[in-house]
Amino acid sequence: MSNSSVGRRRLIPRWRVKSSSLSRRFRVPGTKRSLLRFEGRYNPKTLQRELILRDKKPLFWLIGLFALAFIPIAIGQQLVFSIFGSICFFAAVNVFWTLIIGTAGLQSFASLATVGVGAYAATYLSITYGISWPVMLVIGTAFGGLMGLIISIPARRLDGLYYALLTIGISEFCRNYITQSDALGGQFNGALFGADRIVPEEAMQTTTGQTIAYLTSFVVLLISLAIFRVVSGGRIGILLRTAQSSKEDESFASAIGIDFQRARLLVFLIASAALGFVGAFYATNQGGASLSLFSLDQMLLLLAMIVIGGLGKAEGAVVGTVIVVFLNQWFTSWGPWRIVLVGILMLASVLYTRNGLFGLRQQLIEIRERRKALSRATRTTRYGAFLPEQGPEIPDKGVIAEREFERAIRDQLRDWITPEIIEEHRLSPMGQHSDHLERILNYFRKQPISNKYVVYCEESYKAYRVVALSGIPGVPPRSVDDKTYSNLDEAYHAVFLRRINDLKSQH
Amino acid sequence: MAQVSVTGYTDKPSVVEGETVSFYVTADNATEAQVDIVRLIHGDENPEGPGFIEEVVSSDFSGVKQVKKQFVDLGNAIRVPDSSGKLALTDSLTIATYVYATTPEKGRQVLLGKFSLHETAGYALGIDHAGRLAFWIADGSDTDEIVSQVPMAHHTWYFVAASFDAKSGKAVLHQEAIVNPYNGRLGRVAPFDHLSSVEQSLKLKIKSATTDFMWAAAGNSATVRGAFKDLLFNGKIDRSYVWNRALSLAEIKSQCGQSPIADGLVAGWDTTIGYGENGIDDIVVDVSANQLNGIGVQRPIRAMTGYNWSGKHDDWRVAPQEYGGISFHEDSVVDCQWDVTFSWTIPEGLKSAAYAARIRIGEAEDHIPFFVRAAKPKARILYLFPTSSYLAYANEMIVHHVPVAQAIGSHPAVLTKTEADYFQDPKYGRSTYDHYTDGEGVCYTSWLRPILNMRPKWRSSAIGTTWQFPRDLSATAWLEHQGYDFEVATDHDLMRDGLDLLKNYSVILTGSHPEYWNEFGLNVMEEYISTGGRLMYMGGNGFYWVISYRDGEPEIMEVRKGEAGMRAWQAEPGEYYHATSAERGGIWRNRGRAPQKLTGVGFTTQGFDACHPYFRMPDSYHKSVSWIFDGVEGEKFGDHGLALGGAAGLETERYDLLLGTPPHTKLLGSSTNWSDNYPGVHEDIMFHHPGLLGTQNPAVRADMTYFTAGNNGAVFSTGSIAWTSSLPSFGYENDVSRITKNILDAFSKPGELPGGAWTEDEKSWR
Ligand SMILES: [Fe+2]
Repeated sequence: MSNSSVGRRRLIPRWRVKSSSLSRRFRVPGTKRSLLRFEGRYNPKTLQRELILRDKKPLFWLIGLFALAFIPIAIGQQLVFSIFGSICFFAAVNVFWTLIIGTAGLQSFASLATVGVGAYAATYLSITYGISWPVMLVIGTAFGGLMGLIISIPARRLDGLYYALLTIGISEFCRNYITQSDALGGQFNGALFGADRIVPEEAMQTTTGQTIAYLTSFVVLLISLAIFRVVSGGRIGILLRTAQSSKEDESFASAIGIDFQRARLLVFLIASAALGFVGAFYATNQGGASLSLFSLDQMLLLLAMIVIGGLGKAEGAVVGTVIVVFLNQWFTSWGPWRIVLVGILMLASVLYTRNGLFGLRQQLIEIRERRKALSRATRTTRYGAFLPEQGPEIPDKGVIAEREFERAIRDQLRDWITPEIIEEHRLSPMGQHSDHLERILNYFRKQPISNKYVVYCEESYKAYRVVALSGIPGVPPRSVDDKTYSNLDEAYHAVFLRRINDLKSQH
Repeated sequence: MAQVSVTGYTDKPSVVEGETVSFYVTADNATEAQVDIVRLIHGDENPEGPGFIEEVVSSDFSGVKQVKKQFVDLGNAIRVPDSSGKLALTDSLTIATYVYATTPEKGRQVLLGKFSLHETAGYALGIDHAGRLAFWIADGSDTDEIVSQVPMAHHTWYFVAASFDAKSGKAVLHQEAIVNPYNGRLGRVAPFDHLSSVEQSLKLKIKSATTDFMWAAAGNSATVRGAFKDLLFNGKIDRSYVWNRALSLAEIKSQCGQSPIADGLVAGWDTTIGYGENGIDDIVVDVSANQLNGIGVQRPIRAMTGYNWSGKHDDWRVAPQEYGGISFHEDSVVDCQWDVTFSWTIPEGLKSAAYAARIRIGEAEDHIPFFVRAAKPKARILYLFPTSSYLAYANEMIVHHVPVAQAIGSHPAVLTKTEADYFQDPKYGRSTYDHYTDGEGVCYTSWLRPILNMRPKWRSSAIGTTWQFPRDLSATAWLEHQGYDFEVATDHDLMRDGLDLLKNYSVILTGSHPEYWNEFGLNVMEEYISTGGRLMYMGGNGFYWVISYRDGEPEIMEVRKGEAGMRAWQAEPGEYYHATSAERGGIWRNRGRAPQKLTGVGFTTQGFDACHPYFRMPDSYHKSVSWIFDGVEGEKFGDHGLALGGAAGLETERYDLLLGTPPHTKLLGSSTNWSDNYPGVHEDIMFHHPGLLGTQNPAVRADMTYFTAGNNGAVFSTGSIAWTSSLPSFGYENDVSRITKNILDAFSKPGELPGGAWTEDEKSWR
């Protein structure tokens, strides 16, 4: 270790604080939230006051959504509009699917089918009864909810893999039903078009029309994210996640006063209705529905999106969608290889990440921690029992100096432990001892309280035990063994022997 | 099975026949208890002594009593009674104050406000979960807040303020630090920039809380428990103001260090008002027209330095305007304020002694002690239980807080179940040997709470022997066994009745460790001895710390440990002067009143690894005092005892002419050559140097002395706490017992003392 200096400089300067001026904090109207939550702090190295953005997520969301909204408009090409439209559509679907899998904890694969039901119902009724697009959206929502209600019934009994298979079966049933049904375009292989559109077909030829159509898709994504936020971040969502992360699941949830089954079904119904709405929107955007909404390959593509992005998080659903849709629709010239690439990405996510892209950060932190521990264990250069990297992490530097003293004194005391010393203590645990024993005892007696041995009196002059203090108010002493001693001298010596053992094993 | 436990306290330490003593009892998981009044005869369970002895007092009182769980509303606050609702502000308002937070990071804390958690209503200026200044309003269902930009630094004075304009919903929060070279933990070289002014709109309208306006706490309530204080604050608060309009930021800034703007002022508390000749009370004076005076809850500490402490004066008596600080602690309790569980009227003719209500619920048992003094003193002997010193040690827990406690004790601590349990939830407050949760030393202790270590069988965990009250029972058991006619009284009786109490008796015996004395008590004792009284100082480290009680409130004792002495803590600079007596706290020696001046000896060492025998010193063979050793064989005595096997040890005293031992004092015996676990005391040390421990320091010893005073007065001092614990050895028949008996027999007879004729120099040696 020729050069042990450590330290990191910051390349982007932090926000300068002018403390003498009034800081006006703005809130999103009608809420108690600020868009970006800047927090003031004193830099621990300099005591300089600085503003830091503790939670950078809102910033990334803002930038990401801004890019999503304006890149296609800026480019203004039909292909780009189409790709980004798909991104918005699939992202909206994935956000609700995430709600179903992540928040409600139901392994349903019928999400896309629910979208399909919404789309077909809205299209059919629009064609048959000339219903306009706003009513279509309502109808789609209703049918989505209905579909959710139906597929929720078996969820009361089935779980996991069996439920997943059942929902795939339901999707397949819907697809078959449509191919058999003339009213739903069975004779055109399920293509049912002619529904009312938000942007009329002829306007879709103009850039303005395409822009408006795209923006409606974007708005639908925004609505989806808002619903996700309300449901997942609300009381039910938080409680469901708490329940799922605890071992006792349902019993824990019911203990905190929430009917687990009802809560997850409610979330499932909300998500299903919303998927129906997305389906109806698809119909008003495309002018109808097609069978791909029920196809297994499309569904697997959706699965790839949320696996790559990371399950359970809205940002995972959106970013996963962006990657997969982009690969799939931009690199069409690659043919089937692009699907292979998606497969490889998905496989890599499963194999090398704990939870997709958005689990990577935590994973990196843990890898860094492991490397730190490894480095600590292998390095021999020590500055007061610590490594240079540890210095900045210890707020009270006095601890470092004291630790160095203690380390040196322990080395000395260890050399003095002999059978004679131990026998000297056994014969007389109290009173004046030889110099070496006195010094060993004083070292023991001055140790910090946490984990310090004391004698516990079970019955005066009859039964004593050895316990260790917690040092934490409210935490009782820990018993170290179940041996009892009939007098204090024996108990004192038992404490001494334990301390000698600890001293020998500690460096 | 839920654990059953029971404990309690009485309304006063000492009663006399015809008087009623009330018991305040709490029981966990039980509704009935068997209660008997017992006379406490002996406590120490050491098998070398008589063991625990009590005697049930047969009275109609014994029987099953109803008990219930009672709660403690811990923590300091200042409550502002406001019957006309002047502070029930629901419109615009401004609050300004000066604050010195000691634990800003501990979680939400209220500084000033009328805020209730169970109603989610009101307004308050406080500190949020992240240690930032915050202002909260609540509308009955929801809370909104504005917080400062940076966390508050601990042990630093700030001027802080919040204003709220109800019409526009706009709130302004302002903080600026007031740092001078003296008033906080850090000086100005630490480059903190504490200034922060924030403006933000709040969403809600204020709904008034029904709880009181309080400093340092919010109101809360829970089923079963009822109302209690919550969001308690640790630290100091100085002068504080409330306006019923929103002051502008410019107006707020102009208020720092100034008297308040009158326009809209609802309350202006000047915490520097009220200092008088005998200190300051618990009333915080509002100088506004509304006169909304506040009342301290659980005795917040006053006579503390304020935001503007200049460091020039260390005494509030000289510069009261710099002593506006009031200190608050979340774990302070001076009165549990429980409901009376039962009372007992002392029957006529009941023997004067230590008694207790013995409460049993199955296996659970507690003794709640009290003392019965004589209505018409008849005995010639008085045993004075040192109740002030019991209070000082009440619920002492240093083993759990002080890392070096086992080094002081020089052996591993020995924990009892009661202590281990109590430490889980120290809800009855702490002793003057402990610190509040924020690290400040505990300066108030009180009788009006369960005192778990003032129990007949208690053993100190740090010391491993009995301590205080249970040890003192070895003395009264000895008196009883020897057939002496004696009566008992307490420090509290002495402080109330003065010489009227003592003059009834020929001889006063002290407790084993009468360490804490107020000036009046010392004056009375000095007067008693110099007018012919006889004192048997039966202990060690006595007459040591300055204490005071406020007139009319004998239950609550104040101690400010100063810059010297064997001390668990030290008052902060400038805070050495008592709030309840206007005296300088610390050890009496440093106020010109070393214990040697009263008793011939004074504190010299402490250690807890062994107790030792005394050896007779040459003076003891002089005929003026040799009668004290009648019946004692050999030169060595006190080589036995229930406290570590010797009569000399634990905390001991030294004869010292330089400290005021009367020059004619005889050194009867001495015990030396102790271990290094007995260090010399702090107040003797000028230059600190190697060799100050027992094996190398001649001051580490115990001296037994005797001197006569005017009018046949006399003082005998044992010089050691352990002495009392040696009285019961060998069935009360031993050399310590014999010496004590010789003295007591002589002292309890009126008239001239033995040996008075032997006044001349030795002419020729044998
Ligand atoms: Fe003491």
